[in-house]
Amino acid sequence: MTNEAQLLPGTLDLLILKAVSLGPLHGYGVLLRIQQVSGRALLIEQGALYPALFRLVRQGLLKATWGTSDNNRRAKFYELTTAGRKRLREEAASWNRLVAAIGSVLGARIEEI
Amino acid sequence: MKLLSSLRSLISTLFHHDHIESEMEEELRLHIENRADDLERSGLSRTEAVRQARIEFGGQERFKEEIRDERASRWLETLWTDLRYAARMLRKSPGFTAVALLTLALGIGANTAIFTMMNGLMLHTLPVRDPARLVEILHHYPDEPEPGFNGFLWDDYQAMRGNRVLSDLIIGSLNFCVLSGHGFASQTAFVGNVGGTFFESLGVKPAIGRLIIPQDITDSAPVAVVSWSFWKSRFNLNPAIVGQKIIADDKPLTIVGVAQREFYGLSNQAKQDLWMPFSLGGPISSETGVGLYGYLNPGVTIQQARADLSTLFQASNNRPGADPFMRRSDLRVVPAGHGISTPVTQMLSTPLIVLMATVSLLLLLACANLAGLLMARGASRQHEMAVRVSLGAARSRLLRQNLTESLLLSIIGSAIGIFFAYAATGALVRVFASGRFITDLPVRFDMLRNPDARVLVFTAAIALLTGLLCGLAPAISASNVSPASALLPSAKIGQTKRQRFFGRGLVAAQVALSLVLVSLACLFVSYLSTLRNDLGFERNNLLLVTLDFAQSGYNPAQYSHLSQVLLARLNAVPGVSSATFSEMSPMEGPAASAVAVPEGHPEKQPQIVINNIAPGYFKTYATPFLAGRDFSSRDEVGSRVAIINQTAARDFFGTENPIGKHFTLDHITQTKEPKTFEVIGVVADAKYKDLEQPAPPTIYGNLIREGELGSQLAIRTKLDPASVDAVVRQTESDVFKNVPIVRMMEMNQQIDSTIVPQRLFAALSASFGALGVLLAVVGLYGLLAYAVARRTHEIGVRIALGAERTDVVRIVLRDAVWMICAGLAIGAPLAFWGKRIAASLIPGLPIAGALPIIVAAAVMIAVGLIAAYLPARRAMHVDPLIALRYE
Repeated sequence: MTNEAQLLPGTLDLLILKAVSLGPLHGYGVLLRIQQVSGRALLIEQGALYPALFRLVRQGLLKATWGTSDNNRRAKFYELTTAGRKRLREEAASWNRLVAAIGSVLGARIEEI
Repeated sequence: MKLLSSLRSLISTLFHHDHIESEMEEELRLHIENRADDLERSGLSRTEAVRQARIEFGGQERFKEEIRDERASRWLETLWTDLRYAARMLRKSPGFTAVALLTLALGIGANTAIFTMMNGLMLHTLPVRDPARLVEILHHYPDEPEPGFNGFLWDDYQAMRGNRVLSDLIIGSLNFCVLSGHGFASQTAFVGNVGGTFFESLGVKPAIGRLIIPQDITDSAPVAVVSWSFWKSRFNLNPAIVGQKIIADDKPLTIVGVAQREFYGLSNQAKQDLWMPFSLGGPISSETGVGLYGYLNPGVTIQQARADLSTLFQASNNRPGADPFMRRSDLRVVPAGHGISTPVTQMLSTPLIVLMATVSLLLLLACANLAGLLMARGASRQHEMAVRVSLGAARSRLLRQNLTESLLLSIIGSAIGIFFAYAATGALVRVFASGRFITDLPVRFDMLRNPDARVLVFTAAIALLTGLLCGLAPAISASNVSPASALLPSAKIGQTKRQRFFGRGLVAAQVALSLVLVSLACLFVSYLSTLRNDLGFERNNLLLVTLDFAQSGYNPAQYSHLSQVLLARLNAVPGVSSATFSEMSPMEGPAASAVAVPEGHPEKQPQIVINNIAPGYFKTYATPFLAGRDFSSRDEVGSRVAIINQTAARDFFGTENPIGKHFTLDHITQTKEPKTFEVIGVVADAKYKDLEQPAPPTIYGNLIREGELGSQLAIRTKLDPASVDAVVRQTESDVFKNVPIVRMMEMNQQIDSTIVPQRLFAALSASFGALGVLLAVVGLYGLLAYAVARRTHEIGVRIALGAERTDVVRIVLRDAVWMICAGLAIGAPLAFWGKRIAASLIPGLPIAGALPIIVAAAVMIAVGLIAAYLPARRAMHVDPLIALRYE
């Protein structure tokens, strides 16, 4: 458990958008995909996923449709809208800038200054 | 796009509330089942897997609540909950609710009522083409009411047609006529006498038939156009109206069409009934009177238009034979897009503005009062708020809920207020209609009770503003509790210093506003009493009788004889002390005026008013003679003599003795021949045309010598004038056969009918002042009573430790006196300021003197101390044993 990282506030939405961008998913699927891609490195509170999904739908970034899951259960599938795709691009870019900036700060050594 | 989608999601969540709840349930269940499946695959039993999945998921209810918060309709549901909660809280304290609603309903209702009338009279835009450029042309004599009068002679019109500032000079004037025939039982109608381009220039189209065209003017064709409302009420929209004949002022007219529905004329005072060519009275001559309007050319300002038209008007007045009187008047151009100025609008607009200011003060006072009440209530619910905060309620949530309560109050209050306003406008219109407005014509006010969208928006806005104003501060302070205070017994939660200061500040504000209202009330009431009493004649026990000689066929000689017979018989009636005839009675209406040239002072040409009277006039009106003598029978023939008043004597001859001197009336419109009079007497000044202006220079001519049939009979009685009513009617019909009495009224009534706005000010400001004082007293009492209740324990301790009862009373009274004094200190400058504004709007209102404010302050101190007495007495009677037992 010690190798699981706590999510930074505000990053859950970004992760969901990314996960859904790879193909339509239901809620549990979103969870599995994030865990799978991150190599189980990120700790996601399962219940918190759903308020976030509702919020993204309301903001028009995700579209929800009812369909049938692999195990033949009725499930709500989420997919990206055009607005969602645009948002994902922007958020990802700004995230990368942030990480790069923080990385270079943390990697700084005394002789480089 | 975003708005649309959120709107759609709002609507769908509202209508599919249960559906969404069940979808949410299903989604969460699916998640747990999926997780349980995975866990089962890793080797757990199904039951254990489901249990494990649930634990991993966390508290479902919490997440469901979070999901619900994400929904678009969330605020609406919260609002609904808040509303229900607020309604429950209001029901729980019916006394508070009733007082609050009544206060708000009165405040909002009064504002709505006055605004409705202001809107109808002054803000409504006329339904004509390009109203912003429509102007009205007026001329204004010195000493005549503002802004002037729209009446010109044909020659003036011809001269002003040469202007370069108006695109068209439109002829039209407002009048009344009596309709008969076709089922009209001598009914008064509101008519417009218009020129041939009137309808075309204003862009008015016919609903059916045709409108008045230039051809009708040149032919003096007896045609009429009626309004839609007249068509509807009189002809039930029957198209056969075209071609119908009606009789207006004994002239038969043919109706040729109906004006389009929206057009009701140029006045916002009343809808017009019909329009007819202005030339109906006879062929156009230089004496034909017209009212003038026009459209400003693009880029031309009012000032430019006035300058250009003035030059033409003055040139027209300098032509030979023109009325020299008119040379003194100046020309004005005023915007007419919001309705033209009738005598009524001129007389009512200022009062309405003053009243509007007064009622907004009242509403402000009501807000302060209600804020105080809500504050005290909030304080007693502090414990409840503390419990809710400690249970996790967000402060913004508490704030919103508290505000919902005050908004609910203000919304219900304004709903009641609207009914109140409807009744109030009705009552005000009736009072207005009881007045006599310069012209002695019936007064109609169709437009004054015409609440439109603007009135609704206004009421909604003040309701919202009121709710926020009186609710915001109490809501903030109520939601600002520390969770720890939930643990204390509610009696021990102290008020913060800021809350205490705010509460006292509210009471001081109420005292200040009441001071302003009461001082205005004192001002108006004393002004009214000055107007009624400073007359120069005795107004009580004076009966005025108006006779109509029009159909009698008497000549002046017959009249002279019979009027003396009548006066002699009336003088013999027990209860009558004297009787007289005159052409006009004071405050009756427009007075004949002229320019006088005094003997030896040709450079002086004062403007004077004229009345023609019978002997005994001054005795009957109780106006004292200062010098000379009254008329006698020998003055009825030969050279003319006159009695003049003090002001005329001073204006004509300065300090010289006026008796035996002469003056000439240069021009009297009716006869056009100069008349020279010898002064035989001087009387004290008396009000004549109106009460507000000082008595004008007045000359009194002899009724018989001037060949007038004086129709105003005045009777001075020893008792109530009504007691001689029957005998006067009998005597009159015995002496004057077939001369009907058209009106009988006491002088007091005639006076009151000329000062409707002033009476309204006095009555309304007095009731607003009383209401203000009442509110302030309730506020003061409530705050003190509440403070004493809170400090029972402290007071008990003080008494137990040996404080005198009088010390305790002093504590409470000191509080009260401080609040009252602070209020007076704030209110006094405001009251001075308010008085100055009122005086600038109302001519004649006395500006000097602090008396009204001193009286108002004394009233406030007296009632404030009475309000403080009850809580002080309760504090005095606190039993230390009982007070300490609270521990």
